[in-house]
Amino acid sequence: MMAKTLSFRLLVAGVALAAASAAGAHHSQSEFDFKSTVEVEGFVTNLDWRSPHSRLYVEALDAQGKTVNWDFELPSPMTLMRRGWKRDSLKPGEKVKIKAATARHFPNIGYAIVIRDGSGKPLFTGVTQIYEPEPQAKTP
Amino acid sequence: MVYAGRRKGGDTPVRRSRAADRSSVIWRWVGIVVLGLAPAIALAQWLGYPTPGIPRKPGGAPDMQAPAPRTRDGHPDFSGIWFANVPSKDYCKEKDCVQEERMAREQINLGIKMPGGLPYTEWSKQQMVSRRAHGGRDDPHTYCKPPNYPRAWTLPQHTKIIQTPDEMVLLHEFNAAYREVYLDGRPLPVDPNPTWNGYSTGHWEGDTLVIETNGIRDDMWLDIQGSPITESARVTERLKRVNLGLMKVEIAVNDPKAYTRPWSVTIEMALQVDTQMLEEICMDNEQDVKLYRPE
Repeated sequence: MMAKTLSFRLLVAGVALAAASAAGAHHSQSEFDFKSTVEVEGFVTNLDWRSPHSRLYVEALDAQGKTVNWDFELPSPMTLMRRGWKRDSLKPGEKVKIKAATARHFPNIGYAIVIRDGSGKPLFTGVTQIYEPEPQAKTP
Repeated sequence: MVYAGRRKGGDTPVRRSRAADRSSVIWRWVGIVVLGLAPAIALAQWLGYPTPGIPRKPGGAPDMQAPAPRTRDGHPDFSGIWFANVPSKDYCKEKDCVQEERMAREQINLGIKMPGGLPYTEWSKQQMVSRRAHGGRDDPHTYCKPPNYPRAWTLPQHTKIIQTPDEMVLLHEFNAAYREVYLDGRPLPVDPNPTWNGYSTGHWEGDTLVIETNGIRDDMWLDIQGSPITESARVTERLKRVNLGLMKVEIAVNDPKAYTRPWSVTIEMALQVDTQMLEEICMDNEQDVKLYRPE
């Protein structure tokens, strides 16, 4: 009984941790490891503007200079549109810099945390609680 | 501008009939109207288009503290587009700027604000152990199944309420779904065929709309962590519109199969103005199921 109770407590704690990285999603995002991030600089090949998650495909070079095609998950078009995105906000051939959480079980798939377009402007990704907010300055 | 583009790129007719001339005049007027609405169109469909009938402050900002609107028969009118009352929060750290998606904490765990959490039975604890073992792979929502209430209140899509004297209809963006709540005095069904949203009737207790629901399917989830709700459940939702901008929804669940005692939580919903419903058809491009731990 004690063991059961303990395992259940661990379960709830584990769920809370996993769910803390739910990013603009309608489900747990435990398929991504938000403690394992990758930074990719490359060129957009396609912005797949469909629900439940938009997907941004990016061609980049890996450390060995080999071309790699990345598949980055984003919130739904609905969520992105409410935060200023358009279906052509990123066009094929456009240079992007992306920081993403990596998929736990598949290579070259990630959940985009930070996206900067060719001009360096960040675009909304909807990621929640990936970074703790800056501590508020204490007022005297 | 759309019209001008079509004309420019189209074939030039050699001869025009009278009908074509009339059509041309009509299209010219359409073009003028379209150009007149250009600022709204530039905001993408009707995102940003002013919601009519909303009390506003000088300058045009919605007066969210204004009294709750009422229907002709004197009841509070819940009509409008609603989303969990979660403020957006943007911040920067280490040169990375993050804009948080608004998300109700109850989406993860409906009992997150209850001391001790939801009172799970041993059966429902075991259900959650199994669900947890597969990450979110077994969540019906991951599979694009319908947005079942009461879970749907907490999801990251909008709900639109349309209220008439005899019926309240809730439209939900996820899968363009709907739910009906009958206000015409009919009783709850006896031995109903279980469904995703069950069967709902409502009655007024003062300014509170009390919605009773039975006939929920046996395998429903209440949140991301997999809190169950079953066919034995009776759900009572109490809707109170505090003012124009705020609605409180008390969700009371009596489900002896999944919980050791009846419990209730209250979530806040904020009116969304100057926006529109945007469909989110999940089956269009669902690709997450395969990303969870393989069998």
